[in-house]
Amino acid sequence: MMALSIVLMLMSGMWACDPEPTSAPPGASAPAEPGKPSVPAQPVTRQTRDTYQFYCAQCHGLKGKGDGINARFLTVPPRDHTKTDYLETRSDAQLFDAIKLGGLAVGRAPCMPAWGHTFNDDTIRSLVRHIRELCHCEAF
Amino acid sequence: MILICWGLWGQSLWAEPALQTAPAWAEVEGCATCHRFSPNQPESTAPDLFYAGNKFQQDWLVEYLQRPTVIRQAGHTRDPGFLQGQPDFTGPHPVLKPKDAATLAAALMTLKLPDLETVALATTPLSEGKKVRIKILFERDYSCIACHESYNLARQPRGGVSGPSLIDAGNRLQAEWVYLWLQQPKIFLKKGRMPVYQFDEETLLNLTRYIASHKKESGNKN
Ligand code: HEC
Ligand code: HEC
Ligand code: HEC
Repeated sequence: MMALSIVLMLMSGMWACDPEPTSAPPGASAPAEPGKPSVPAQPVTRQTRDTYQFYCAQCHGLKGKGDGINARFLTVPPRDHTKTDYLETRSDAQLFDAIKLGGLAVGRAPCMPAWGHTFNDDTIRSLVRHIRELCHCEAF
Repeated sequence: MILICWGLWGQSLWAEPALQTAPAWAEVEGCATCHRFSPNQPESTAPDLFYAGNKFQQDWLVEYLQRPTVIRQAGHTRDPGFLQGQPDFTGPHPVLKPKDAATLAAALMTLKLPDLETVALATTPLSEGKKVRIKILFERDYSCIACHESYNLARQPRGGVSGPSLIDAGNRLQAEWVYLWLQQPKIFLKKGRMPVYQFDEETLLNLTRYIASHKKESGNKN
């Protein structure tokens, strides 16, 4: 029974991160968490930008526009990090958690991997600041 | 086809001389113009072969060297055009005659890392129910599908392309190597583009067996 319901979930593409059509993209209804404390700023260095290019650009694209080489194979597009309108609605803490814990853990699409074992918190904070550079925006 | 494969005869003074060069056959056959045969050689834009004997299944090598298929659709991660989606190397890979393929495959199988941990894996295949549960780990919990081609329920290949395709991994890779790669990728590659994971033993074994179950046309070989 358990296996069957899992199969149904897989077929409906409820959380799939693949090119099959899904009815409701995950993340569409994720709650915002405005109460969270803000993330202490960490300066963006050349190393931060290199890190973004090396790891994140595979999906988010070289300029952060969400058009990396994996993008067209994913049902839920990688977030466009230059999109001011959207990123103004996300707090630094939310971005930090998405990077550290991955999309699934924060009510976003599971094809955004967790990077918490790849980078330390300071590197993740600097990546948050780099995304703020890309969107030329701050959280409200 | 533009080749960005720098020669491997560049010398670094601190490297051990014995490990610095490719085996003679690799020079003669031209493999060494693209592939590294020692970690002490400068990085190249083709996959490293100095642990080929740990990584590949010999039958697969024999087949691949005669009829190469595309494994990295977006190119190798060190290809200068990788992130642009326009790799310099677009193939086709050099093709060998059957006899040469068998000889070189056997030679490749002798290339192993010294002191590699031995891993003993259970050989019982996964039940269908378990496969489905691990599929969820692969696609949902760990985002593997976002960078690697795998199978959907209709057995169609699908998934991202920044990592090597896994659709024939069960014929191509040794399960023990997959296990070690998932546990300690740094043994094989100092810095890769795959996220670092810290799996518990059970998850490691499950993912390894799941990947080993990926076979193109199961039945025509093995
Ligand atoms: C395998 C592809 C992939 C890689 C690699 C990747 N991401 Fe993502 N990322 C995604 C996808 C897909 C989404 C969209 C999730 C959604 O909208 O539900 C996303 C969303 C995000 C978000 C937005 C979360 C939100 O609140 O909407 C941030 C921030 C982010 N990624 C940062 C990064 C950083 C930093 C890196 C590199 C360390 C990175 N990503 C690497 C696929 C990826
Ligand atoms: C022109 C450069 C070039 C030459 C010459 C070349 N290779 Fe390759 N080789 C590549 C590239 C690039 C790939 C990766 C192809 C892919 O992923 O689709 C590859 C893949 C391979 C693979 C699979 C490796 C893996 O990790 O997937 C093997 C094995 C291999 N080559 C062996 C050889 C042998 C043996 C020779 C000599 C007869 C040789 N190659 C000559 C560029 C080359
Ligand atoms: C952000 C993209 C990304 C994610 C997510 C990812 N990988 Fe990878 N993986 C790669 C890349 C890229 C390589 C090749 C090594 C390199 O050049 O960095 C690789 C290599 C591999 C290999 C070795 C394949 C070969 O032929 O050499 C295996 C096996 C593998 N990954 C399994 C997994 C599994 C299992 C997961 C999920 C737990 C996963 N990967 C998640 C990008 C990714």
